[in-house]
Amino acid sequence: MAHRGSNLRISYLEGNKILPRPYQKVLVAIVVTGALLLPAASSTFFVHLIDLCFLAATGALGLTILTGFCGQISLGHAAFLAIGAFTTVIFSVHLKFPFLLVLPIAAVAGAIIGFVVGLPSLRFRGVYLAISTLAMHYAIVFLATSYQANFGTSASAGITIRDPNVFGFVMQGDTAWYYFLFIFLSLVTVACLNLGRTRPGRAWMAIRDRDIAAEALGVSLARYKLLAFMVSSTIASVSGSLMAYYTNVVTVERYTLDLAILYVAMIIVGGMGSVLGSILGAFFITLLPYAINSLFEFLPSSLRFSTTVFGVQVGAIGLCVILFLVFEPKGLAELWRRIETYFDRWPFRYRPLEATRR
Amino acid sequence: MSKSNLLEVRQLEVVYHRVATAIQGVSLDVPDGAIVALVGTNGAGKTTTLRAISGFLPSEDVEITDGDVRFCGTRINGRLPDQLARRGIILVPERDKVFATLSAEDNLGFAGRRDGPITRARVLKYFPRLAERARHLAGYLSGGEKQMLAIGMALLCRPKLLLVDELSLGLAPIVVDDLMERLKRINQELGLSILLVEQNANAALAIANYGYVMESGRVVFYGSAAELRSHPDVQEFYLGGASHEAVKSYRDIKQYRRKRRWWG
Amino acid sequence: MEFAATILILTCTYALLAAGVVILYKAGRVVNFAHGEIAVLGGYVFYSSGMVTGNSLWFAIFGATVFSIIVGIFVYMAIMRRVVGEPFYVAILLTIGLGVVFKSAIIVIWRATEVTIDFGVQPAIRLAGGATLSYMDVATVILTIVFFAALYIFFRFTHLGIQFRGTAENPLLASQRGVNVNFVLSLAWVIAVFAASLAGVLYGGRAFLSSESVTIGLAGLTAALVGGLDSLRGAVVGSFIVALAQYLTVRLISPVLSDALPFIIVLVVMSVRPWGLLGTLEELDRV
Repeated sequence: MAHRGSNLRISYLEGNKILPRPYQKVLVAIVVTGALLLPAASSTFFVHLIDLCFLAATGALGLTILTGFCGQISLGHAAFLAIGAFTTVIFSVHLKFPFLLVLPIAAVAGAIIGFVVGLPSLRFRGVYLAISTLAMHYAIVFLATSYQANFGTSASAGITIRDPNVFGFVMQGDTAWYYFLFIFLSLVTVACLNLGRTRPGRAWMAIRDRDIAAEALGVSLARYKLLAFMVSSTIASVSGSLMAYYTNVVTVERYTLDLAILYVAMIIVGGMGSVLGSILGAFFITLLPYAINSLFEFLPSSLRFSTTVFGVQVGAIGLCVILFLVFEPKGLAELWRRIETYFDRWPFRYRPLEATRR
Repeated sequence: MSKSNLLEVRQLEVVYHRVATAIQGVSLDVPDGAIVALVGTNGAGKTTTLRAISGFLPSEDVEITDGDVRFCGTRINGRLPDQLARRGIILVPERDKVFATLSAEDNLGFAGRRDGPITRARVLKYFPRLAERARHLAGYLSGGEKQMLAIGMALLCRPKLLLVDELSLGLAPIVVDDLMERLKRINQELGLSILLVEQNANAALAIANYGYVMESGRVVFYGSAAELRSHPDVQEFYLGGASHEAVKSYRDIKQYRRKRRWWG
Repeated sequence: MEFAATILILTCTYALLAAGVVILYKAGRVVNFAHGEIAVLGGYVFYSSGMVTGNSLWFAIFGATVFSIIVGIFVYMAIMRRVVGEPFYVAILLTIGLGVVFKSAIIVIWRATEVTIDFGVQPAIRLAGGATLSYMDVATVILTIVFFAALYIFFRFTHLGIQFRGTAENPLLASQRGVNVNFVLSLAWVIAVFAASLAGVLYGGRAFLSSESVTIGLAGLTAALVGGLDSLRGAVVGSFIVALAQYLTVRLISPVLSDALPFIIVLVVMSVRPWGLLGTLEELDRV
């Protein structure tokens, strides 16, 4: 009797299922229930942290589509987030559009910009593409800076966004946001999983692995690369827009190259190309600075300079990137898979096939 | 460790990318001062055998998973190419055998070993053409000149064992014969042991003392060069047909009609 | 005259950085995104050591040498060596991570304070046309010229330099001819870090260093790309173009664009000649 493993699939149909084994469905149910109950059992601050994690996770999922699935190295993710934020400013503050209308508009804006930013990918690959995304980042940030400068005197600390008003229900407070973001993240996750296991996903992965071979097999590089950029920036744009509503302020200084690197760190630590990995990585990278902050509480206050703490936080992220790339390139998702498989195969020992353990 | 074997390979097994076994159970000896030919078709594993003897770079994801390679009695499995080069195992590769962006004389001087029985002048005596083309970029040399340069470079590395991979590829027969002849001279005058991998079995067996035949990653036949030259299967499959019989029709030499039996 | 002097000095700064990028690329096909951070870190290290031993230009060179040997060998042997042979983006992401770590070191150790490296009161030089060059400006130009000349001699005429070039072209063949590839690649990193830290020290002497100065690394990277990632001559040419364009843009259009401008130049050059002005076409598919 063939005993199917958690991440060991023996048929194509089975391999396409998101949760093929019963225990996985149970696990997901537990996680979802736990998540729904969490706000009741935790402090506001903790709920706020998780809100930030949810937001980061949606952004990270956007980057996974582009870099993880399609293999296009992009350092311009911060720019896409900025597009969402500034579209929110334009439409919500200037034109006073309601929240439910601004979100789709941000999505469309993201798609358009994604198309533009994606155009160089038709001509460049590899490091040259990364450089061109950097160029786009600076171009967009420049536009945003000019916009913010022209906004008026009140903009020095950032442009204020009012809390969204959904059919009379004003979304404020971390708990309300928590449920909204949780649902939103779940939708985006399912969307990404589905994209990954249908035609676009297959095409993207083919491009990632051997684009010349993919083209020879009939995958239109232009169409799918642009699609990857557009989907990625749409998700990122909406994420940026939500972040603007959540924090009630938009300021261009936030969208630095360091922010883009932060998202890249998320997908590296989580595991490139894995949806679960993006979420795990987003949580890890978002929570890491706070964990470090807590660690510093143990030290005498004479050592607790804010710059030192900040520096260690930054350094820890860089160190995680290096350690994961060298020792565990498939990230946290791979660690999870190993734990899963250990219990699944127990009491048999499971040694993954050498070749797959790259 | 028998008599004076410079190189002893026993039951060698090499795996690429941790999944593909390229050679299995390969054993061969290179006696001191001999020329040994390793013949076989494409994909037989001859190059892999040479590479396993001369060393892999860590980035290539290849591994010697079984067996022993002994050079002068010492086990040398898994050493880096530069370590083995310093012991005197020098490989002349099949592809990318010279530094195309360096001049011919820079290529020759690359290893930079001034000491040793073979001097630059001696190499240029074997291959006078290289002296004429000294200043030219190696990438612009002709195929035969590149091969000469590659062998010359190898000779200047103080070799004890010269491994030559597919000397004849892409070269005109007359050039091949000439090069083989020079190799023979080098072997006789310098006492340099040579392990020669060749698809052109005729040319290889013409100068070799011993020969091994490889197919599908295994050694299927071995013996002295004379034995190989006279073996009917070797003649049919590698030497272009039995030389003493007139071939009556094409049907007689269709290889798929006859199974290769390597015993007897 | 002042215009020419400024361009020249800026070109030299970028050229030192771009040279390091090109050497690292040629040796290991690695595009180092951490170059700016290394440069600034080198500058800060010199600043601290200078406070103890006194700032002099000779000590700067000596200090840069020691720094580059330690850091270069460490970065290669401990980190970069482990990902040789993996897809190109692994090395790039690794250098990005390295850059973050170096930047954090600057923040933690020096509290990210702005520092200026004081080489003491030195005579300024008056040029025709009323421009004044400081001691540091002249030192920058001279050191850059000396560095490039030394590189040229090294690669063209010394035996180690020839082995270096061969290893860059074909590491396997070089290894089969007795060259220790790890040694050559470590050497590449040492040279690159040396050039970067020299640039950092000189920059800190002329202007100032802070944790934000790391953006000069990106300018150096773009200069290398414009000139061709595998061409040292291209590094000089590219640096000149980037320096000139930056200066003109800041003066004539808008200072805010100065960060973005190198990338716009790169985009333009790459659209018509992706392998760089003096690069080789075949390199395009290597990354």
